[in-house]
Parts: sequence; structure tokens; C-alpha cells
Amino acid sequence: MDTNRLQNLKNQAISNILETKNEQELEELRIEYLGRHGQITRLLKEIPSLSPEQKKDKGNLINETKKIIEETIISQKNNFHQKNNREEWFDITIPGEKPAKGHLHLITAAIEEITDIFKKIGFYRVAYPEVEWDWYAFEGLNMPKNHPARDEWETFFIENLNHPKYGEAVLTTHTSSGQLREMQRLGKPPIRMLDIAKCYRRQIDASHAPMFYQFEGLVVDQGINITHLKGTLDFFVKQYFGPQREVRIRPFHFQFTEPSFEVDVSCIVCGGRGCKVCKQGWMELGGAGMVHPTVLKNGGFDPNKYTGFAFGWGVERVLMMKYKIDDIRLLFNGDLRFLEQF
Amino acid sequence: MNIFILDSWLREHLQTKATPKQIGEYLSLCSQSVEKVTKIEDDWLYEIEITTNRPDCLSVYGLARELAVILPRFGLPAKLKSLEISQPVKTPDKKNLPLEVKIKDASLCPRFTAVIFDKVVIKPSPKIIQERLEKSGIRALNNVVDISNYLMLELGQPMHTFDYDKIKGAKMILRESAGGEKITTLDDQIRPLPDGTIIIEDGEGRIIDLCGIMGGKNSEVDEKTKKVLLFVQTYDPVRIRQACQKLAFRTEAASRFEKGVDPEGVLIAMGKAMEMFEKNCEAEIASQLIDIYPNPPQEKKVKLDINLVNKIMGIEISKKEIVNILESLGFVLETNQSSLMTVTVPHWRYDDISIPEDLIEEIARIYGYHRLPTNLPPMAVVSQNKIDFPKWEAKIKTALKFWGFTETVNYSMVSESILKNVEIKPEECLRIANPLSDEWVFLRPSLVPSLLQVASLNKKENLKIFELANVYLFQSENQLPEENLMLTGLVSGESFAKVKGVVESLLEELGIKEIEIKPYQLQKTFYGKIFHPSRRAEIIFKNNSLGIFGQLKKEKIFVFDLDFTQIVKDTNEIKKYQAIPKYPPIIEDLSFVIPEKTYVGEIMKAIKTTSLIIQRVELIDSFEDSRTFRVTYQDTKKTLTDEEVEKIRKSIIDNLKNKLRLKLKGKGEN
Repeated sequence: MDTNRLQNLKNQAISNILETKNEQELEELRIEYLGRHGQITRLLKEIPSLSPEQKKDKGNLINETKKIIEETIISQKNNFHQKNNREEWFDITIPGEKPAKGHLHLITAAIEEITDIFKKIGFYRVAYPEVEWDWYAFEGLNMPKNHPARDEWETFFIENLNHPKYGEAVLTTHTSSGQLREMQRLGKPPIRMLDIAKCYRRQIDASHAPMFYQFEGLVVDQGINITHLKGTLDFFVKQYFGPQREVRIRPFHFQFTEPSFEVDVSCIVCGGRGCKVCKQGWMELGGAGMVHPTVLKNGGFDPNKYTGFAFGWGVERVLMMKYKIDDIRLLFNGDLRFLEQF
Repeated sequence: MNIFILDSWLREHLQTKATPKQIGEYLSLCSQSVEKVTKIEDDWLYEIEITTNRPDCLSVYGLARELAVILPRFGLPAKLKSLEISQPVKTPDKKNLPLEVKIKDASLCPRFTAVIFDKVVIKPSPKIIQERLEKSGIRALNNVVDISNYLMLELGQPMHTFDYDKIKGAKMILRESAGGEKITTLDDQIRPLPDGTIIIEDGEGRIIDLCGIMGGKNSEVDEKTKKVLLFVQTYDPVRIRQACQKLAFRTEAASRFEKGVDPEGVLIAMGKAMEMFEKNCEAEIASQLIDIYPNPPQEKKVKLDINLVNKIMGIEISKKEIVNILESLGFVLETNQSSLMTVTVPHWRYDDISIPEDLIEEIARIYGYHRLPTNLPPMAVVSQNKIDFPKWEAKIKTALKFWGFTETVNYSMVSESILKNVEIKPEECLRIANPLSDEWVFLRPSLVPSLLQVASLNKKENLKIFELANVYLFQSENQLPEENLMLTGLVSGESFAKVKGVVESLLEELGIKEIEIKPYQLQKTFYGKIFHPSRRAEIIFKNNSLGIFGQLKKEKIFVFDLDFTQIVKDTNEIKKYQAIPKYPPIIEDLSFVIPEKTYVGEIMKAIKTTSLIIQRVELIDSFEDSRTFRVTYQDTKKTLTDEEVEKIRKSIIDNLKNKLRLKLKGKGEN
């Protein structure tokens, strides 16, 4: 076949390809030219029998023709696709098939949030026994037997457990028992404790469940003072409740801190103007104070050398404030209609 | 303890132009928490929470004394008016009515005062007294009873009145009760007296007073009373408190006595009362004032170092300011050039102030906590625990959440019936001595009963729930129980394999691979009783049991119960890098006919261990007695040839045939 005919073949093929109207016609042409017995394939098979000179010229030409035909077929195919894609109707509003997803309990979410906030300022998370000796829960915290301060905690007692030195066993009423445990664990400063654990008190109503969680902070070191406590509370409140929240500390009384404080946050409902939910614009968050020298001593620390602060608040209390949940019992009654909202 | 204070009454003792709102706010900031300020008619009522260490604030006068110090700090002038007391002592007279008093033990009653009035006219109190009492939440009864209530609110000193003629033999013996005595109190209740309760008996041995708590019915002042014995005392707070606890009964007077009433305030109250009896009851004083006060407290001094004040407050505060604050609160100071000072505690703060830190609290609160700056504590490296439980807990909970599980948090205390439901013996569980209700009596030794309860409560198909919490296991009488973290899940509407897959993936997330799954054989344990006898399995890792999973006997519910404490000990965070294979794998499917009761796990294990070249064995199809496995052969050092693979394949087939009597079904396609 001479070069002219080859040229014609090429032109013919290109125009045929461009005239095809669908993929099937195109496929037929592909087979006609490039199939196992196609025109171009046949020509390619002849190349080995050509003279060396022809091989070079014609061979190149044949290969080039093949390449052009192939490219034209591909480009025509793309044309069809684009056109098809443009014309196809597709419903993008069908519901997505989501991967399985469950729900973390609100308390877990709150605990993780609280942990992250305190982690940023160097607190280390621990947990201590829920069934605890009287000494850790009360006596070692400067609350001797029969002290009226014990009345603040409605305590559950456990039958048939008694320690010769530490007294009877209770369900711990607060994470403050962890203060003595952490002091004993470390034996020396620094302490930057965040203790989050279950606590128990013998009471039930919309804002009290017999089981609840507390988070307790304890910092003991040289030179710790009230301004450090204020800074820590302020950091937490602004991170957890939002930067517009204000904090204040007021005098209060606990046997295991001196001075003792009550911590208030500006009301998240009214913003501090005063409303039904709050007290004159403030909501009580919980207690705090400078660790009492007796408690430091009981924990094995020299109160003349070291000072510290502590605070202990209810996890449910802060999350109920944040999510405006009005009954604590919802958190523990296992109703999936509630649990699956979060 | 919350008290109600009327604004107009407060201003009778405090001269100030501060508004009720200002009083409420500043008292909260520097002293006692004002919960509410409410307008009643043309007056205001403060509801104030008084902390247990400040019984001196449980009165109108006590709060006026605080405010006289606090308000000027906010630029509001305020002055405490002095209590005008007429000297209560009446000269002895032959017509004096007698009263013989015997106190068995001086520690019961640190100060005992009493006086008798004659010609008492019982009638309603003057209007202002009635109104003040009613607005403060106490019912006005008659002029005599009202005086004691009025002065309790005004001065914080509870008092009691008797009908003198009802005290037999004009004799009183104050002692501790013993041997199961009884008293009928003013509220007509017969109260059996716990031993050690402070009481008074009269000349005929009748018990006429439950001291500090409530008077006896038999000596009550009534409309016919002519002679009144007025009683103003202080009692041992501990005995009052114990009596209240044992009696499960508390009165306003008892709440004050158990916190401690200032014995130095007794005569002031007595003087005021005598004035009021004369004025409101037309009474005549008919006896000498009896005042038994054998051991007045010693002066109390506390040494204070200014450096410590600054150290705790975190600011530099001048000596002059410290002195000003303490003196304004009634402390008496001895100072010199050094940083040390000696501080004498005023009698009304006697019990509360004992150590320098107590004084620092006084200085700091009056200075104003709101004026202190905020600082973060310096960062420090804290010695860490070996296992970071919170990290693993968070990781596993999050994984379960994204696998479709919902987390529940259930009470640690459970009822007898839910334990019995799962055949746990209540007598083996820790028991609460004073449970709140039948629902919460035992500390749960397993989370399974709680999850079953949640399941039955929700009546939902395709349930996937879990809980991660402590269980409590008795160890010995003088040891705390073992608190073991368990991870327990409950699944309905799924297959055994799906639940097993969850357990396997969970462990893989924690880096625990190559676990062994064994049939759980024990019958008599709690697991043995609740799980289906054959559809249950134990998970073993390095010879330790990590827990159990399987189907329950009663329903098609699956449960996994994993020992999280043990699992976390076995976690392995180290991931090993393996070079990506350079040579292609050969993958083929082999189908076998298996004899009955052949564990597929054993087959796969047998295939896998045939040669190191076998990288993976998967079960891809199960139908009747046929099982198809996909086997991946790969050599890290070279491209495998057909001949090499054929050799391994042959030994797989021979192996399975000889050991497990499996027959090859004809080679599958790859």
C-alpha cells in the first residue's frame, strides 16, 4: 500500500469516527481498523516483510496512523460520555447510608471535656476508691467523728467492713477523699491532681441522685496561693461555659480548707441580670479552698513548707447547667430516648 | 442553715444608707451568702445561708455586726448601734421565789442562767413583735413564748420558759438521761430518750425539759400561767447533736446549740428578756438572777506572721491594713516592729478561730476575694501512673460509639431482685447498711444485671448498649473491696459472629492480638448459669482470662463482659513496621467438606501454621458442610513459582485430611 492510500485510509477513518452517533458504532469502527483483523492491524503485520528502507518510512507512517486513529476514538468516546453524563438524571437527594453510630453518655462527654481543659494547664487525671475508709472521707479531712460538718454529707455505710486504723467503710461522699490518697501516692510535691470519680450521697430529688460524679482538683507545691486558685477556676469556667462567663469566689466553710470558698458563675440563662434559675445573677458551681494545714499534715506534707488549693464540683451539675437539663435522674435511668439525643 | 432577716429589724441595729440590694450583694461577697432578697409589704426580707463555723451570724445583731465592717469597705458608711441593756440584777427580797438548781456535770451546761417572774399576764404580743416574727417565718403565739423566739432571732440565743408552778418542789436537776427514760415534749410527742441526752428533772423526779431541744409538756406555759421561769443557757454542742441525731428530731434552738452558742452573750439576752417581760407581760421579777458559770473560757490568742498572710493571699498587703481589718472585726492586737503579731479572739468567734489560717481567711474576705488577681499555677511534672486508664477508657468508648453502641451509666447499687434474676447470690455482695430504698441495696458485682434492666426497660429491637464501670468484690473485713473496671456490652438482633467481631476489634484497638477463644466450661458460676451452655466463649490472652461473651440462655441476647482492668494491663501500643512486600502474592480459594462438629477456627489455624509463606487465611463461604477458605501465599524474598505453591497446597490438604478428616472439594478459582 502506498503512502497516498495510507493517507486516505487515515482521513477516511477519522471522518468515519467523528460521524459515529453512539458507542456501539464507535466500537464497530474500532474493530474494523484496530481489531485483530482490522485494516491497520493487517498493515502492521506486513511491516516485518518490508525492505529495511520501507520499514523505516512506511512503518513510521503506519504506526502514526494507528496512533491518530486510537486518539480520535478515545476523544470521540469522551464526547459521548460527557454528553451522556450531561443528560443523565440523578437523584442526589436520596438519604445517605450512614456508618453505624452510637452515643456516648453525656457524663462521659463532659468528663472528657473537663479532662482536656485541665490537661492544658498541667493537671494529671487519677481516680480513687469509691468504697472508702472513714479516715480518707472524713477524719483525715479534719472532720472528727460527731463533727457537725459531717451532716452536710448524707453518707451510705457499708456493712461488715472495718479497718483497725481507718475506721468503717463508706461510699465516698466526695472526691476530696482522693486528696489524701494522691498525697500518699506521690509523697512529695508537686501535685496537680484531677480526680474524677463516682460519689454517693443518701438523697434523691431533681438535682440530687444517690450516685453522681465529682471532679476534684488539688494543687500542692511551694508558693501556691489564692490567686492560683482564682486563675484556675477562671480558666476552667471560660473554657467550659464560654468566654463571656464571669467567676467569683465568696467566703464559705469546709473543714478541709482554710480559707474556704464557694464558686459562682454568672448565670448562663440571664447572663447575670438575675432570673428565676439563679441567685441574684449568679449560679453556684461548687466549693474550693486553700488546703487546711491539718489535711496537708495528714497526707504527709509539711504545712510550713507547702501550700495548696483544692476544689471539688459535680460533673452532672456543670453539664446540667450547660445543657439546661432539669432532672439529674434522667442521666441514670437508662432511657434510650434520652441517651440517643447526645 | 438558712435564716430569714427583716431589713427594718436589721436597721434597728445598723445605721446605714446602703440599699437592701447592696446589703445582699456585699454580704455575699465578704461573709454569708444571701440567697434571696424579697420585698414584703414595705419591708425587705433577706434569706441568708449561714455556714456552720459562723453561729455568731445566726441573728439580726450578728449580721449587723458583720455589715458594719463590710459596708464601709464598699464606700458605704455603716455603724453598729450598741445594745442597750438595763442591769438585770434585782436586789434580793424576802418575797423572792426559790429555785434549787443542781447540775450533775458542769460540761453539760457551761452557763446556766434563770430568773422567775410573777404576776405574768398572758396575752398577745405587741403588734411589731408579732409582725417581725411572722415575716421571719415563726408563728406568734403569746407574749411569753414570743419573747424567747424574738430574742433567739435577734441575738442568736435560744431560751425556754416554764410555768414555775408546774416545777415540783421548786427544784431542778440537770443531768444525762439513762436507762430508757421518756419525755412528752411540747408538741405532744412521747420521745424515748437515748442515753446521754441532757434533761432536767424536777423535785418529784419528773422529766420536765429536753434541754436545748424542746421543753416538756408537763411544765408548759399556758393561758393560766402566772409565774414564769425563764431559762437562758448554753449546752454542750456534741451532746445536743448526738441527741438530735438519735431522736431524728431537730428544732431551731437545737440547730443553734449544736453549733455552739456564745456563753458571753447569755447575760445580754437575759437582760433584754427581763426588759421585755416587764414591758410586754406586766411581769414582776420575783427572784434573784441565777448565774452558774463555773468555767468561763480562757482568753484565746493566735500568733500571726504577716509573711504568711502574703504567702497565702498571693499579694503584698500592708501591716496597717491587716491591723485595720482585724480590729474592725473585734480582734485585739498586740504588735511590735517584727512581722509577728498576737491576736486575741473576740468571744463571739471563740470556737471558729484557732490557727493563723483562720485569721488569714478573715483578712482576705474583708479585703475582698474579688480584688485579688488571677494567676495560673506554675507548670510542673507530676509522677505518672503506670497505666493511663482514662486514655484507654476514652479510646474504647469512642470506638464503641462509632460501631453503633450507646453508652449507659447505671447506679452502682442494685436491688435484691435484679441480682436474683441473674442468679447472683445477694449474700455474696457488699451491702449498704442504710439504703435509701429497696432499689439500691447491694453494690453490684457485675454490670450484666444493670444492662439487662436497661434492655427490658427500653423494649427495643436491635439494641446495642454498653457500660464501662467498676464492680465491687468483697475481699476481707478489714480490706476495701476490689473495685474492678468492667466493660460490658449487650446486643440484640445480631449474630454470634458479629458480636465476636466487636470483641475482637476492641481488643485489636488496644493492640491485643492472638487471643485464644475457648469454650466456657464452668456450670455453677454466674456465667455458667446465665449464658447458653454451648454458645459462650472465654477469651484468653497469655494465660489470663480477659472475659466472656456469648448468647444468653433465656433470650436471643448477646452479652460481652470484659475485664477492662486486665485488658488494659495487656495493651500494646507498639506497632511494628514491616517492609511492604516487593513480590506479588498468590491468592487462591480452597473448598473442603468438613465432618460434623469441626471447629472452623482449628481448620484455619491448621492452614495458617502449615507454612510461613502463608500470610493470611480467610473464611469466605460456608454452606452446609462445605467451607471455602481464601489463602494468601507470599514470600518476602522472591516471586513464588507455581511449583512452590503447589507443594504448600499439598501439605495443607494432607494436613487437614489427616488431622481433621477434611476432604478437598476441588480447587477453586482465584
